[in-house]
Amino acid sequence: MLRRVLSLASGRIAAGILTFIVLLAVLGPLLAPHDPLEGGVDVLAAPSGSHWLGTDYLGRDVLSRLLDGSRVSVLGSVQVALVALVAGVIPGILSVYLGTVFEWFTLRLADTLIALPFLVFAVAVTALLGNGIPQAMLTVGILISPLFYRVSRAATLSVARSPYVEAAIISGASIGWVVRRHVWVKVLPPIAVALANTAGVGFVVVSSLTFLGIGVQPPAPTWGGVLAADLGYLSFRPWAPLVPTALIMATVWACNLLADAIRDVSGEAGRALLNSRAVRRRHVHS
Amino acid sequence: MTRRLLSGFARSVAIFVPVFLVATFVTFALRALSGLSPAHLQLGESATPEAVAQIEHQWGLDRPFLTQYLDWFGDLLAGRLGTSWYNGADISRLLVEGAVVSLSVAGLALVLGVVFGFGFGVLAAVRRTTWVDRAITGFMTFISVMPSFVVGIVLVVVFAVGLGWFPSAGYVPAERGLGVWLAHLVLPAIALSFDTVSDVARQLRAGLVAAYRENYVTGAVVRGLGPRRIFLRHVLRNGMGPALTVLGMKFPNLLGGAVVTESIFGMAGFGKFAADSAQRGDVPAVQGVLVVSVVLVVVFNLLVNVILVRVTPASARGV
Repeated sequence: MLRRVLSLASGRIAAGILTFIVLLAVLGPLLAPHDPLEGGVDVLAAPSGSHWLGTDYLGRDVLSRLLDGSRVSVLGSVQVALVALVAGVIPGILSVYLGTVFEWFTLRLADTLIALPFLVFAVAVTALLGNGIPQAMLTVGILISPLFYRVSRAATLSVARSPYVEAAIISGASIGWVVRRHVWVKVLPPIAVALANTAGVGFVVVSSLTFLGIGVQPPAPTWGGVLAADLGYLSFRPWAPLVPTALIMATVWACNLLADAIRDVSGEAGRALLNSRAVRRRHVHS
Repeated sequence: MTRRLLSGFARSVAIFVPVFLVATFVTFALRALSGLSPAHLQLGESATPEAVAQIEHQWGLDRPFLTQYLDWFGDLLAGRLGTSWYNGADISRLLVEGAVVSLSVAGLALVLGVVFGFGFGVLAAVRRTTWVDRAITGFMTFISVMPSFVVGIVLVVVFAVGLGWFPSAGYVPAERGLGVWLAHLVLPAIALSFDTVSDVARQLRAGLVAAYRENYVTGAVVRGLGPRRIFLRHVLRNGMGPALTVLGMKFPNLLGGAVVTESIFGMAGFGKFAADSAQRGDVPAVQGVLVVSVVLVVVFNLLVNVILVRVTPASARGV
């Protein structure tokens, strides 16, 4: 599937941006030219040779704070997506098999989580549970999980009751073989799409929370936190939000683009599209 | 017609009663989960166990969990949200002040979302596959990746700091003049509405374009009906269902997103109250905010479902 995603231009762009962002998260803290927590006398400075993005209201180097904060911001959204994946997919698939009581209960729970005013709950629950990164990731992940629940449940339903799966079981195929051969290929693409989407949503939510100062303790830098610090001094440095804003928007856009690319290459329409392209290419080459 | 409306209403109620019950239970369980107690708020961390026990007894927190829950739920149904651990104030009174601010912002954002979402969606669908359609679709994709706090900051930089057209922060009650009130609301509402505008517009475009492909539209063209009549009677009514559903699902986001916009624009609304109370560990106040926001969301969704049944033929048939 990865190769097919990369054969699309949008898939390549998305993969390129996301690779850059992930590299930033992994290497960022090492690349930071200054200590992100150390202030100086030179407050609210314009960009210069020693401070490429200037300094904030405490004289801290903004570039270093962005680089150092990339780890929490980026890995946080990955964690959110993974929590949501586990908390959504397992009950989603089980709801098809475990009987009506479990099904009814999980369906109502999913309805409820979707109906909640998301950010208010994320803020309130995170702060009440002790205002740390793990609490924030867990809360947001569970609040997003209904997406995975619905997607995996729908995909499992469509396969589990399809004639060819019944036929395979009647002709003596083991459940394990059926899952590997039939169920997995049907369930995987929509989950991959949902995963790319939730990574984007999770990123926005994590940035929003850190912007509000929820989920991180004050001096620790995050992309949202850098933006929040800029907000109070816009009349001195009106251009300051540019770089963190661009980073956040590029990440979200790349996640959406990746989700669309995966959706395009999975499913019947996508396969036909790719086949026609492959055919055309073969035609040109011959 | 009335029977259809009633059955649609009954179906929505059947969906939302469990939602309400689960949401309130989760909200109540927050105190037990967080392990917070009014004693720590009033006495600090160094309180003796006896003093803590006494205060917890005063608040009735030493009773069994289910007894407390049923008590709290009964109060809730009677409209009593209890008193704050922080300053002993009546939570309902505090909430009403915040709710007015938040509902003003969310309401204006909703209006913007409907007007521009439907405007762009209809325009893109009517001019489908032309450059107008492509420009609108591109623009909608662009604004959909802008988180509300990013939009808020950009708006402040351009329109408040740069051009000075609007105030950059604060909220003024409507009694002090409608113009001032609106001027303070415009920027936060725009920041909040982007997400709704783009989602509604994209859903509406998809729904309308699909409706244009239906046989009954071809039939209407063949019968010689004008484009305006075809659009209003056949395309719009059949194609706007998904967009209305999305609109219904956006309201929780508008209410929740207010947390961020209120923080940018320094407004003392619902979300700020929730964030402040949560950071203080004032559990009953947080529970009050959460319950009221759930109620608002449920009521709004009931309204949308009723409108949906009235407007679109398919959902009136129970499809």
